[in-house]
Amino acid sequence: MSQVRISESGAQFCQSVFDDMMSQCDAVYGVLISTVDGHDVVRSFKQDMPAPKLAAMMSSVLALGETIAVEADQQQCRYVIVENSNGYILTLRLKEKLVLSVIARANANLGMLHSISRSAVEKLDEKLR
Amino acid sequence: MSEIKVIITGTPGAGKTTAIAAISEVPPVRTDTATTDELADVKSETTVAMDFGELTLEDGQKVFLYGTPGQQRFEFMWKILVQGGLGLIVLVDCTRADPIADMGMYLDNFADFVAETGAVIGLVKRDVNDTPAVDDFYQALSQRGLMFPVLEVDVREQGDVSLMIEALVSLLEFA
Repeated sequence: MSQVRISESGAQFCQSVFDDMMSQCDAVYGVLISTVDGHDVVRSFKQDMPAPKLAAMMSSVLALGETIAVEADQQQCRYVIVENSNGYILTLRLKEKLVLSVIARANANLGMLHSISRSAVEKLDEKLR
Repeated sequence: MSEIKVIITGTPGAGKTTAIAAISEVPPVRTDTATTDELADVKSETTVAMDFGELTLEDGQKVFLYGTPGQQRFEFMWKILVQGGLGLIVLVDCTRADPIADMGMYLDNFADFVAETGAVIGLVKRDVNDTPAVDDFYQALSQRGLMFPVLEVDVREQGDVSLMIEALVSLLEFA
């Protein structure tokens, strides 16, 4: 169990940010905040998905993305995007120890996904301690 | 020149990342991130995807070492990392409550892979009282119908890590 805790008001704020993301881009059907070591913290899913497993996978995929960037002599990893036949999964770091993952259907505009995800991280970064 | 892929697994904090760093001829690839759970009492970072290192054996054989995350929530990585692997090293931290059960958990989870290949058990942090004897590990393996080398090792020592790899290669050659 993660020792990262979000207060009740913090969780409500996260939910409001998730709601905004889903209203700005209706292709988004899942938003998850997890820890960098793979624990589920807070989420909003429009369909049933295994949050604990996804949390662990998102931490692996982001760590791999960040490590690959270093090995390829590139600078800071901004996003890891998994583009699938029927959707996108976009993962990015949130503060030092958290990961934000956004799961969307294929009709999402990838530029829009980038934009709302970056905007959400900025809002969450400011509010969460 | 042949190449083999060896997977190193074991409990969190057993020294998988350290073992690969001790022996790799290239700077090891790591995916360590901050620990946010009870493991933070033991170590500040943990592997969440994989470690990677390379070494060359005396006969010119290239060994690619892949370290797994230790926690069971990362078992999807275990399944990915064993693909194409030729053997498994299980590091067992003997300061934990039940090291034999820990060994069993990894042997259960890697059972299909181990059945097709082979394994070496590395016992680490043996300098504590009340830890099972090496024979107890052999007995536990025997009860599972398995016969694998069990070695007491210090994973910070290149020679000890090398010994496990050589034992594994020998086991596979004569299997």
